[in-house]
Amino acid sequence: MSTRLTKALEFANYRTTLNNQQAQLKAKTQSLLSYSINGGTFTIDIPLITFCKQLLDQNQKETVLLDVYNNPIKIDIKDFYNEIESRYFEVTNDYYVEFEKLRKARKVHKVLDLNEKGE
Amino acid sequence: MFAHNNEEIDYLRLAITNSLLIQKNTGIKNITVVTDPHSLKHNEKTLGKRFIKKAINNLIVVEKDKKFKNSNIRLYKDTSHSSKYLPFYNVNRCDAYDISPYDETILIDADYLILSDTLNHCWGHNNELMMNWKYQDIMYERKDPSLDRLYDMGITMYWATVVYFRKTEYVESFFNIVKHVRNNPQYYKDLYKWQGTLYRNDYSFSIAAHMMSGFADKGISQLPTTLYKSFDTDDIHKVIDNQTIIMYLEKPRAPGDFILTKWQGLDLHIMNKWAINRFTEEFLNA
Repeated sequence: MSTRLTKALEFANYRTTLNNQQAQLKAKTQSLLSYSINGGTFTIDIPLITFCKQLLDQNQKETVLLDVYNNPIKIDIKDFYNEIESRYFEVTNDYYVEFEKLRKARKVHKVLDLNEKGE
Repeated sequence: MFAHNNEEIDYLRLAITNSLLIQKNTGIKNITVVTDPHSLKHNEKTLGKRFIKKAINNLIVVEKDKKFKNSNIRLYKDTSHSSKYLPFYNVNRCDAYDISPYDETILIDADYLILSDTLNHCWGHNNELMMNWKYQDIMYERKDPSLDRLYDMGITMYWATVVYFRKTEYVESFFNIVKHVRNNPQYYKDLYKWQGTLYRNDYSFSIAAHMMSGFADKGISQLPTTLYKSFDTDDIHKVIDNQTIIMYLEKPRAPGDFILTKWQGLDLHIMNKWAINRFTEEFLNA
């Protein structure tokens, strides 16, 4: 096999590994952005955080939100907001760090955090 | 968990390994495993009674139905390079409701490795019964449409791999239907037209889900976590720690050829049972 073809196949393997690793990282982040409370489950995202902040600014104490199953869940806004806000930043910061590490990895073993022998 | 060994696969060893992962990653200590005298005796010899007790605080020993064992045979693969027909003993999984001593239970397969605490989202949930029909392969471009429905035009297939349930009247009725399907497989096979002769809990749970939803598709709520799975053509390369493994994934258009992936912080259904058995030492020491 020519060197050019070997290199092209190596690069294809690298891209497949990288794409899969990025998808895995995204899935892990989405899972960590799921928050369950009072029998309901919420996906922490910017609209939810913004909406809760708005309710908090209106001095509301309790409210009913629809969770991912569209079930009505009663929550204490202050506690809920504090929890989802801190979780959001914690998770997205970790995502950023891991994502940057992947972006800079140019070899399969670096994408996977292994040494050259695969150990 | 239910764990009944066959001639090649040590399911109880898988369940013990998984129990220790559950304790480490979720903090759950109340773990019940249903097994049989033969599987238990083998593991008492290889791992020791004390070790088993440390992993599982409630071990239930039942006798196997030998007739079922000899009739339910499936093809097991250890990558594309090796495969074998072996007994698949899964007949008592539908008894989980009666066997479980808990108000809330998460029923899982022994080979569904718990590498995160995401299942803790289930406790105290408003939904009394949850299981997934949606799944995601760990190699994102691989698809297998045969896993979506009982047959091409049939009902959606739910995965009995992970089931959350509370002890309520509704859930009791659900499990009664699952048992009815198990006891009358030929009738339900004709009605729902699942393919092949193998009895799978995925089929009986899907049929019960369909019936208990008023014969509507996808009527039972899904778990708040995604079900990630690998294929039995994949393998494990290395166990890094109690949340991280490196997997060999078979390329979809090149059987027998693999790429590597690092899987971290998400629970994973590993279909290649031999692969887990090869790495139990590493998992136990992780």
